Amino acid sequence: MEQRKKLTWTICFLAMAAAAAVLFIWNLNAGTVPLSVGYVAEILRGGHMGEAAYRIVWDIRLPRILAALLLGGALSVSGFLLQTFFQNPIAGPFVLGISSGAKLIVALTMIFLLGRGIMVTSGALILAAFAGSMVCMAFLLVLNRKAGSMAVLIIGGVMIGYICSAVTDIVVTFASDADIVNLHNWSMGTFSGTNWDNVRIMTPVVLAGAAGAFFLSKPISAYQQGEDYARSVGVNVRRFRIWLILLSGLLSACVTAFAGPISFVGIAVPHLVKSLLGTSKPILVIPGCFLGGAVCCLLCDLIARTIFAPTEVSISSVTAVFGAPVVIWLLVTRRKER
Amino acid sequence: MEEKRERILRAEDLSAGYQKKAVVQGVTLSLEAGKILTLAGPNGSGKSTLLKTVAAQLSPVGGMVWLTGKPLAEFSGRELAQKLALVLTMQLRTERMTCWDVVTGGRYPYTGRLGLLSEQDRLKAEKAMEMVGALELRERDFNAISDGQRQRVLLARAICQEPEIIVLDEPTSFLDIKYKIELLSVLRRLAREEKTAILLSLHEVELARKISDEVLCVKDGGILEAGPPELVLSEEGICRLYDLKREEYRAYYGQERLEHYIETGGKRLRCGYTTGTCAALAAAAAAQMLFSGSAPKKVGLITPKGIPVEVSPVHCSLERETARCAVIKDGGDDIDATTGAEIFAEIKRRKEPGILIQGGKGVGRVTKPGLDQPVGEAAINRVPRQIIRAAVEQVMETMEEEGGLEITISVPEGEIIAKKTFNPQLGIEGGISIIGTSGIVEPMSLQALLDTKKIELRQVAVQDPKRVVFTPGNYGMDFLREYLARETEGVPVVVCSNFIGELLDAAGSDGVEQVLLVGHMGKLVKLAGGVMNTHSRYADCRTELFCAHTAVCGGTKELCQALMAAPTSDACVAILQKAGLWDAVRDSLLAAIQRQLDRRTGTGCQAGAVLFSNTYGLLGITEQGAEILKDWKEKKGDAL
Repeated sequence: MEQRKKLTWTICFLAMAAAAAVLFIWNLNAGTVPLSVGYVAEILRGGHMGEAAYRIVWDIRLPRILAALLLGGALSVSGFLLQTFFQNPIAGPFVLGISSGAKLIVALTMIFLLGRGIMVTSGALILAAFAGSMVCMAFLLVLNRKAGSMAVLIIGGVMIGYICSAVTDIVVTFASDADIVNLHNWSMGTFSGTNWDNVRIMTPVVLAGAAGAFFLSKPISAYQQGEDYARSVGVNVRRFRIWLILLSGLLSACVTAFAGPISFVGIAVPHLVKSLLGTSKPILVIPGCFLGGAVCCLLCDLIARTIFAPTEVSISSVTAVFGAPVVIWLLVTRRKER
Repeated sequence: MEEKRERILRAEDLSAGYQKKAVVQGVTLSLEAGKILTLAGPNGSGKSTLLKTVAAQLSPVGGMVWLTGKPLAEFSGRELAQKLALVLTMQLRTERMTCWDVVTGGRYPYTGRLGLLSEQDRLKAEKAMEMVGALELRERDFNAISDGQRQRVLLARAICQEPEIIVLDEPTSFLDIKYKIELLSVLRRLAREEKTAILLSLHEVELARKISDEVLCVKDGGILEAGPPELVLSEEGICRLYDLKREEYRAYYGQERLEHYIETGGKRLRCGYTTGTCAALAAAAAAQMLFSGSAPKKVGLITPKGIPVEVSPVHCSLERETARCAVIKDGGDDIDATTGAEIFAEIKRRKEPGILIQGGKGVGRVTKPGLDQPVGEAAINRVPRQIIRAAVEQVMETMEEEGGLEITISVPEGEIIAKKTFNPQLGIEGGISIIGTSGIVEPMSLQALLDTKKIELRQVAVQDPKRVVFTPGNYGMDFLREYLARETEGVPVVVCSNFIGELLDAAGSDGVEQVLLVGHMGKLVKLAGGVMNTHSRYADCRTELFCAHTAVCGGTKELCQALMAAPTSDACVAILQKAGLWDAVRDSLLAAIQRQLDRRTGTGCQAGAVLFSNTYGLLGITEQGAEILKDWKEKKGDAL
């Protein structure tokens, strides 16, 4: 039994890694300017320098792919942490309005700073998004304490999301500056426009956050048996919860800062991964979520870029199409279980 | 190390509650290794709060808690988790977790940074699952099993945490009776075998009474009572604890009891029934179940003593052609080691004709010769075997069944109970004996009764060291008042019950000089035959004595036959008076009584007897009796 499980897990991880690799290459090749695999390989080895294709691969596609990979992973892990925290299966940064809160603060920061002619750095963006996440999180905590039901939490989160999005829209609409108009694209969620500077900042932040989550696997596994049981085996619940909030906030803030709000990945991927692995052991699920999130975002970004090429659709439109049914399926199956 | 194991948990003046507001106050408790302490009490009395505080889930509002001698507050989370495990009442919801995942969660305080399980962790978890009988659930989803199974898995989780104490908050809620019993027996095994201390709260007082070593009653924000379960959870105790009226409690919980009383030493005591009767009742119930497929609600029989006993059999089950029922032993007011034990009978058909009676687990086996049963046989005595056989045969007859049956009597707790009995010394090993010739237990701790009589005698002997009147009971007292008031005025009277010989001995050693025995002829006539304990259990040769003395005085064979058939001694007197032989026989009997009294007292003291009957009044006075009365009369005269 144990052997068979281990085999299943190994196969799952290898399959996800293979999918990520295939999508990685596909994403490099596909697009408004289709390139052959061999051609791209030559470019990556440093050939064809100076050609337009060289610039497309190195300056546009590669950073974008890396961003999709890292941020997709971050988003899923963040979703998993939030689900653990609220002990609620449909918790996630987008549903709970955390992404939207981050978006609002980022938009306000950009308008405020750009209006004064100050350049906005990647780090500042992350900080702004993190602040926004934490404000929303605080609100949710109060809500959760006042009415600890799953439905109230989700509805509250969705409402926060609407309010924040509405305020962001108003702010963006009335912003006159051309730079700020670009915010419109971002506020819908997209990986386009990612540059190497962004990648350099997001890589350490995301990797640190994911590693932090991985090292919380042990207390998470205890917390999955409920707060009281976790405390009874020696988990410092208060400290653990703070870590959960900080890490999930950091990861989702990073995503929002660079790619805007991306819907449903945070809910759907952890559940698909758990179903796939047949377990909720965090030590497996956290790396699984990271890989799965990466695969999911690479795929969705590929679709977003190519389906109506040369027009790009927002990433959220694609993820919603895939993710929303998963949430519905979750609601239905859980009702049955009761 | 041994010292340390002794007392696992101690709380002093503990106040438990939320946000500095105490729900329960002034709790003092202590729990040793291998003991089970149960909290009982109405809903909302604060049992859970108290448990949570003791388990360090809540900070105490006041007072102190020590775990293995160290203040609870000084433990780190990990240290505490290695000493104390928790099973909560709330239902645990998990997602994609196998039972194995839940159980191994208990190894948390022992695993490393990432919580990976070592080989040892796995073995411990497996052992824990095996102990609660949940090993086959290992790979099942925790959400997909029944409530009872879930509770067992959670207990396994607590066990593999290797704690010195397990705290359980109402572990039997949501469970059906079978699971309740299973769970509690695992707890008991944990306590007895692993020496784990168990602290739990229970709503089922009946179960609490069985499982606990000590019970703490929590009510109105404090401890109402603490002590052994038989005491604290008696009918009165339960009514007090839950604010119930006796009748309310009895209507649903009261056991049907054998309402047969006897009088000993002026006390009214309730009779019980023997292990033999229990075995026979259980066998009759099991037989009915085997033949009809369903357990009878009530089952009854007439004991050899002639008293009917009716009980409700418990734990009835019918599996693979084997019926099993149990009857709970009721010792009446004579509480001995076997009181409350469950006596099981298991019946199945066998090819050979006839009824075979065997002893199962908890029924002793004879290892030394000279007992009722031969060596190697189960310690089920001859008479109980007859009663069991008769009871089952009667069931077969009424249900028109035929064929051979195999009956196995067992007592799950027998081995432990037997240690409190004389069985080990007698050479009966492995359990209790199934005994009882009359089928009824008459509550009479002979020694205790005799001791109190002796003390009574010594007390009166001090007041008037020379003389005393013995009378067996209330009839004698009435007679004294009516006929001998003047003679015995100022002489202390001791109600000697049936212990005539023993109290005569005691009187002699206490320095009493004159003893006048005043009693009903029915009792005192036995003295003529040298029967010095007049309890009917020892000997009854009244008519035989009448008969023998009549024969000596020239009575005919017909007369003797009539006497032998007489139901009472008064009837004997009537027959003899009619035959004109009464005076002769009376003198002969009185002389015999006097001889026996003299023989018993030796040179110790002077003893005489006065016999009467309710119908005839004074019947006769022995030689010494007359002298004593004369003496007392004279002395009274002197004094005047």
